[in-house]
Amino acid sequence: MTSAVKAIDTTRQAVPFDTGNIPGPKMAKAVMPSVAGKMLAKAKRPLLIVGSEVHDRDVLERAVAIGQTGVQIAAVGNAYTSLGDKGLDVHYENMHALASYLCDPGWPGFDGKGGYDLVAFFGITYYYASQAISAIKNFSGIKVISMDRYYHPNADMSFGNLKNDVFIAALDEIIAELRKDKQ
Amino acid sequence: MIIKKGSFVIEGLENVQINIGRIVEHGHEAGSEVEGPTPRPEIISLRDWDYRLLDRYNPVYTPTSDMCDYCTYGKCDLTGNKEGACGIDLEGQSARQALITSIMGAACHTAHGRHLLNYLIKKYGEDHPIDVGPSNLKAPLTETIMGIQPVTIGDFLPVLDYVEEQLTQLTAAANTGQEGAARDFESKALHAGMLDLLGMEVADIIQISCMGLPKSDEKTPMAEIGMGILDTQKPVVICVGHNIAAPAYILDYMDREGLFDKIEIAGLCCTAHDMTRYNKTAKVIGTMSKELKYIRSGIPDVLVTDEQCVRADILKEAKRLHIPVIATNEKITYGLPDRSNDSVDAIIDDLVSGKHAGALILDLEKVGDLVPKLAMKMGPIRKAKGLTALPDEDEFKRLVAKCTKCLQCTRDCPQGLPIADAMVAAVSGDLAPFEILHDKCVGCGRCDYSCPVDIPVLNVIEKASQRVIREERGKVRIGRGQIGDPEIREEGRNLVLGTTPGVLAFVGCGNYPDGTRDVYDVVEEMLQRSYIIVSSGCAAMDIGMYKDKEGKTLYERYPGRFIKGNLLNTGSCVSNAHIAATTIKVASIFAGRKTKGNWEEIADYVLNRIGAVGVAWGAYSQKAFAIATGCNRLGIPVVAGPHGTKYRRAFIGKPYRKENWNILDARDGSVVNVEPAPEHLLITAGTKEELMPLLAKLCFRPSDNSLGRAIKLTHYIELSEKYLKKMPDDWHTYVRSEADLPVAKREQLIKLLEGKGWKIDWDKKKITEGPLRKVDVSFQPTNVPRLCKGGK
Ligand code: SF4
Ligand code: SF4
Repeated sequence: MTSAVKAIDTTRQAVPFDTGNIPGPKMAKAVMPSVAGKMLAKAKRPLLIVGSEVHDRDVLERAVAIGQTGVQIAAVGNAYTSLGDKGLDVHYENMHALASYLCDPGWPGFDGKGGYDLVAFFGITYYYASQAISAIKNFSGIKVISMDRYYHPNADMSFGNLKNDVFIAALDEIIAELRKDKQ
Repeated sequence: MIIKKGSFVIEGLENVQINIGRIVEHGHEAGSEVEGPTPRPEIISLRDWDYRLLDRYNPVYTPTSDMCDYCTYGKCDLTGNKEGACGIDLEGQSARQALITSIMGAACHTAHGRHLLNYLIKKYGEDHPIDVGPSNLKAPLTETIMGIQPVTIGDFLPVLDYVEEQLTQLTAAANTGQEGAARDFESKALHAGMLDLLGMEVADIIQISCMGLPKSDEKTPMAEIGMGILDTQKPVVICVGHNIAAPAYILDYMDREGLFDKIEIAGLCCTAHDMTRYNKTAKVIGTMSKELKYIRSGIPDVLVTDEQCVRADILKEAKRLHIPVIATNEKITYGLPDRSNDSVDAIIDDLVSGKHAGALILDLEKVGDLVPKLAMKMGPIRKAKGLTALPDEDEFKRLVAKCTKCLQCTRDCPQGLPIADAMVAAVSGDLAPFEILHDKCVGCGRCDYSCPVDIPVLNVIEKASQRVIREERGKVRIGRGQIGDPEIREEGRNLVLGTTPGVLAFVGCGNYPDGTRDVYDVVEEMLQRSYIIVSSGCAAMDIGMYKDKEGKTLYERYPGRFIKGNLLNTGSCVSNAHIAATTIKVASIFAGRKTKGNWEEIADYVLNRIGAVGVAWGAYSQKAFAIATGCNRLGIPVVAGPHGTKYRRAFIGKPYRKENWNILDARDGSVVNVEPAPEHLLITAGTKEELMPLLAKLCFRPSDNSLGRAIKLTHYIELSEKYLKKMPDDWHTYVRSEADLPVAKREQLIKLLEGKGWKIDWDKKKITEGPLRKVDVSFQPTNVPRLCKGGK
């Protein structure tokens, strides 16, 4: 992983990655990684959801690095197979069930400390993530940030559609923000 | 005196004519033997049961659109659960869509049944007896819903009248200004799902009874399946859809005229299943995902369509390759001229000359006569011209080199496939990435429209995959129909006690998230673990598409009886009814529960005691949603693949809400807080690795005895460790005593329980404190207060 983080623009190409995925008038604001990183760092109860597209080495390293800053991780799909043995605060959950629990103010969370105020995610099959977060968008007050390489209209904030190297650099910038916040 | 139908004149009263229509015999009609409180349930009759389900399995809405544009007040923006101009909010609108989706599916199967019933009554008469094999309980869904025991096919007339009437009432409820509460839309959707099961049962029972389809036969022969099975030098007839009526005439004609070695005849989608059930010489090309691919290959010389799962562009696609389309059902007519009353020769002339691209022929006997003759004429003409949509070698090279890697095709592809990477590899002669795409591609053709440099992407994929397509040759055991009563007698006890870990029903379509192989892999794993695997429709086809090292398919390796570790194919989409009905049979035959007009009690039994789970890994259609919803009302959980979230509604349990898992002990009406079993009623999984432990978990039932619970727990833990690399977080929830623990791991698991704060008496190796409840072999779990002793 590169330690020198170069600033990149993640707000270009902010159109739904799946061409037909246009939910309605409210679509995600395109966001720069520093902003996404700061929001994640400042959230009282953030949750990072990571899916079955996390196994690629570059992406996995970043997921682990974020987890190491103390952010709790929900590993959905088969993501746990890559994340489970890294000493992180990581919990397996079904994405569909998780979306349902997040919409329930009575959900005690993974650790019994209550629900979450901000959900960030990446590495989930595009349409699956899009559908799941449409529940959170419409039926909960939780803020959702897509930190994936695709523009997700159902999130509150999202990167645009990114080339892989830009995506990885964006994750690095987020990690840098989280580390800054910890210092 | 035996009274028959007809018109009679009484001697001496010649001016009086008596017309006798339907004869109501004892035992045929509702009322005579009804055993439960809800024969012919109206929309509201089972609402209490629905509410019980909905209170525990809360609807979860994942809208694909935040808008409603149903009426002229709109478009209305419902984002954030706002209300639209009519007062409906997004939750209500999503539930309304669930209702409409269920209605569409139910109407589709019921209309199929109606078409068959009218046709079969005309051909065989109303008094033709029902014969489905060695069963007393011949029509379990009809009995449970209608409260009647049908004897002849004519007895199904009032059944379909009932379904059609109810569907009209339900459709009315969806109009703007009618129902407004999400909860009641869902109750109505569950009603539509139940009607769907009934419509399917009628359709399959009458075709089994009249057309000689296998009757609960566990040893049906194998049919060939795959895109590579046909001798393409011969004229090829391909039947597409779901309704056997027209293909049966074609098969009869070919049989009579000895044409099976001169013409290849095969089916696409569920018609194929029913063709093989009707005549074992017929073959199966595959699921709807193969439809466009096979047409584009140019192999078919004649296409025959009936109804359901037929691509809307079939005529346009076929016309380009001079493949005549014979439409045989009034629901799909494509603007074709109605040639039902014209001579066969005249129709053939017009099709061969290209004057018409196809014909609508509703006289099915004429279809049977015409299609083989047409194929014999078209075959040589088309083959001489080498008609295909696929590019030749040079054109292929030119096309792949044109790709600009803009990714527009990937963005339009429902599977998000990495097409540009495969184009790049093909430029340097590596076709392997395209061969992988061929299996993952659902053959929708959307990529063709998206490419800015006009690469016909699907044709390129198919051209590159010719090697694997030629090898696509599998075997599927021909659909058996119902599970017979004797098999239920043998297996029912194991299922209810849990010593058979579960029945998994692989059903539905081919919209898989990651290719057809997943279904095969999951089925193989679960068969090795002794689950009973029941299948139907497109899933049953794809199970037969792969072979082991010895070249054997799963159908050749695992027998087809309803006992643990067996693999059954019930048949086509409408044969799904038998899978759901199997649970009714267990309740009736094994447990002696009354069926007639007794839906709630039966569903309550199924929910609490029978470890049956549906898997619709590639579900795409409204029909699949209706089937799932019907199964849900019957107490059967269903898991769909990730595309299933686009159905926009699931029923997901919340295990952490302890109060949702209170049930009653029917012996005294006492409240018992139980483990979340089954935890969900309708949910999706993201990958096959996630699917397998989830299936094992959804087989838990409150009624499991300790041996059964230990077996189920073994599989749940092992599958989770094998595929998700972890002990399930909630495994201990399902432990009621040390006897529930798998023997081989008992000590190790007790230690883990101690670590969770449970109290252990190590001398006796017993759990003394910790479990939610104790094992009680006499426990009679129920969700229905009136079923408790002294209950009303
Ligand atoms: S035809 Fe296949 S590759 Fe093309 S968009 Fe459809 S699924 Fe994707
Ligand atoms: S849309 Fe056409 S040019 Fe663009 S990546 Fe796909 S095949 Fe290549």
